[in-house]
Amino acid sequence: MRKRVGGIFLVVCSLVAAGVVYADLKKGFYTPAKLGSLQQAAPIEQLPDSSYEASAYPAPTADLAPGDGVQDVQIYCNTCHSPRYITMQPPLPAATWEAEVNKMDKTFGAGIPEESKQKIISYLRAHYTAENRKQ
Amino acid sequence: MQLTGRWLSRRGALKILGAASGGLAVSRWLGPNATIARPSHGAQGGQEPAEKAIEPFTGPGPNPYWNSVGPYVTEPQKVPLILLTDRPVQLETPRHYFRTVFTPNEAFFVRWHLEGIPNAVDLKTWKLQIEGNVNKPLALSLPDLMQKFKPVSLAAVNQCSGNSRSRLQPRVPGGQWGNGAMGNAMWTGVRLRELLDMAGVKSGSLMVQFQGLETGVGPAGLGSNLFLKSLDYSSPVLDECVVAYLMNGEPLPMLNGFPVRLVVPGYFSTYWTKCLTWIRVLNAPDENFWVKTAYRVPDTLRGNTTPEDVKAGTVKTVPIGRLPVRSFLISPDGSSKIPAGMPVTLRGIAFSGFGRVNRVEVSDDGGKIWTAAKLGEDHGAYSFRVWQAEWTGKSPGRYSLAVRATDEKGNTQPDEPVWNPGGYLWNRIERQEIVVGNAS
Repeated sequence: MRKRVGGIFLVVCSLVAAGVVYADLKKGFYTPAKLGSLQQAAPIEQLPDSSYEASAYPAPTADLAPGDGVQDVQIYCNTCHSPRYITMQPPLPAATWEAEVNKMDKTFGAGIPEESKQKIISYLRAHYTAENRKQ
Repeated sequence: MQLTGRWLSRRGALKILGAASGGLAVSRWLGPNATIARPSHGAQGGQEPAEKAIEPFTGPGPNPYWNSVGPYVTEPQKVPLILLTDRPVQLETPRHYFRTVFTPNEAFFVRWHLEGIPNAVDLKTWKLQIEGNVNKPLALSLPDLMQKFKPVSLAAVNQCSGNSRSRLQPRVPGGQWGNGAMGNAMWTGVRLRELLDMAGVKSGSLMVQFQGLETGVGPAGLGSNLFLKSLDYSSPVLDECVVAYLMNGEPLPMLNGFPVRLVVPGYFSTYWTKCLTWIRVLNAPDENFWVKTAYRVPDTLRGNTTPEDVKAGTVKTVPIGRLPVRSFLISPDGSSKIPAGMPVTLRGIAFSGFGRVNRVEVSDDGGKIWTAAKLGEDHGAYSFRVWQAEWTGKSPGRYSLAVRATDEKGNTQPDEPVWNPGGYLWNRIERQEIVVGNAS
């Protein structure tokens, strides 16, 4: 009995001491993750032949702003590059977007029908300038 | 006891005291598991603010971060890198990989122009072709390259023309790189000149064109179909070029140009053709899009111009060339507060495409007073040069650490920004805010 009381006394003293020493520490706080985790890729099987391979390159979907013309963007801009080429850009002036679409069409030969081209330009101007870009 | 926590408010301190006196955490304070954090707060969540994701784009002001702001992505043969675009692939190297003079292959930045990037190369059929205005066209296998020529190794920085494009004001379209579209490697391979000599270049040759395995879906003859780059046949850099089959002593990752890529020491990456397969000697100027129209810079001091002059059509351009002198502070990176009076080591890298870096200076007042940093080992004129300097933030406050380099030709980094429509040649003095806190 005396031994147990002594033990409890010791524990309480230690707790108080610990509380004093670490009074200005904070620890042990966790939170449900808001940042996405990233999966590891499994090693690919390799054979000692003459072919040297890399897995398919991942193309995660880029979120385009919803709105009129987004389907034309998905059809025509997606031919040579993923829509991330749009979402990666900073907000750009309306005239710059028009010039970009014309460059894709004329210089790079995207062959976008005129009607779709105008819709794509309107879409980019409506969602990706400094005045209206949200995402 | 391992200190896993951060400094705390009074309220938090009381909380810990309360928990301790309540005897709830006895084993964790005193027992063998003392370093294990208490899970209760986390499991319930919400009591403490979590780290937030970075906003997915920057602008219209300059990108304020060292790197670009895309998510991390896992790509074949790579550690997680910062995604700019997925198809074609453009990946940026995070800042901390520049702590070493040689950038690891698996962390080396990636930039392709066209979506047809090789997923596999069969070395039974792959041959490096040397053709065009030559006496004897060649088709060399990888064993030919490794065995028939004397291997040469050189350290060289590969930097994207648009590295740091996200700094420009006004912003320009293109890959919105932070500072991580660069890397330094030890490249081993065959001298381009030896290959050209073996093929026998005929007189009247004007350019040498390089083509890799990358292809696009655009119409033939346009820039969306093939990525072709050329160097002037009269350029002295041809004698320094290496067709590299080793990168830091290892085969090249597919995304960095397996089986061989062209190394053009001192020049921007655009000339460093990946998966190099055709070397074509031309007896006429190369007029393809990637030479005649793209990757050109104003023929002015530092390639600087204005949107007004571009609009007026008065800007004469030349193909982009050598890397202007640059330097970076890599650590500390501002993610941690530094206690006043604590001596820390500033570390970074510097390079120039015009000659070796022979001076790096640091400033802790934003660039008014400069102090020389200590340079690390010299790996050659075209390599990164690491530098370090001891620094103590004597009193609490916000310090603007700046770094500038000078190369042996006397080029020093300027403090003025640069602007051109391509977003090329950024080399302004870099700054990093460091917060020094009270130490007691």
